[in-house]
Amino acid sequence: MATTTALISINSTDLLSDELALTTTTTLTKVGTSTGVEYTTGLSRKKVNATAKGSTATTIYTADDFAAIPYLYLKNTNTTVGNKIFIYDDSTSGDPTWLQLDAGDWGFIPMHGDKTLRAYAPNGSDPILEFMVIGTDQ
Amino acid sequence: MATTTAAVTLTSDLLSDNMSVSTSTTCMKAGTTADGLDMMDMSHLEIASGTNWDLARADNALNKDKANKVYICNNSTDETYYVKITLDATVIGSLYAGDWMFIPWGAEDATADIEIIGYIGTNKISYAYFHEGKTLFEQGDTV
Repeated sequence: MATTTALISINSTDLLSDELALTTTTTLTKVGTSTGVEYTTGLSRKKVNATAKGSTATTIYTADDFAAIPYLYLKNTNTTVGNKIFIYDDSTSGDPTWLQLDAGDWGFIPMHGDKTLRAYAPNGSDPILEFMVIGTDQ
Repeated sequence: MATTTAAVTLTSDLLSDNMSVSTSTTCMKAGTTADGLDMMDMSHLEIASGTNWDLARADNALNKDKANKVYICNNSTDETYYVKITLDATVIGSLYAGDWMFIPWGAEDATADIEIIGYIGTNKISYAYFHEGKTLFEQGDTV
């Protein structure tokens, strides 16, 4: 059985009057079990060309490609502040925006997995998005 | 200026070679590299099965399109316990016992609240919200 872990550390020495040091590790498992997940898309890297929601937006996950719960990792690799990548739900009416990744931002979500997610970059800077899905393929 | 960093490391042996992906970001206010996020809410909550709560409110004033960062962790130990996280009335994530999420949240409109719904049992949740400001609830006491 594969073992996949996700570790987050949030640290600050000057946000509070005492040091903030928050660390959590989780082992990625199949729903409701302690059995490790076995599949991944691998780390992908795509240029985000579209400047608005629509058919030209970059698809980063297709609904139900993985069984619940797929874990999604994303990073905007751009280095210029303001060159944002927006991630939106293309399966739901109104295409609600989930995330705004500014330059250097990253996110990690244990998704429900039943929504198609797409990306666009409103200011036309063509930022590069890195992303990976880990879970149970179906 | 406060300096707060958020780092992630993903490691696995599920491929034919070991995988290790790491990155870190410094949590800055929107539109700048010179001024860090300097406000934070932090809570430990118990979310009973069948209950639904606002975690973070999109108020269209102080946090809209800002550099909000949200961390949520389900510290429950029973692996069947979970919470759903919704945004704009859509489920964006399900956190089973031990799972965590970290997202840059845009709070784009008044309906983009982040809510949490408990399932199976009473889930123990850690929550941190790093932000530039938020509208407080109006007070009712007069003294």
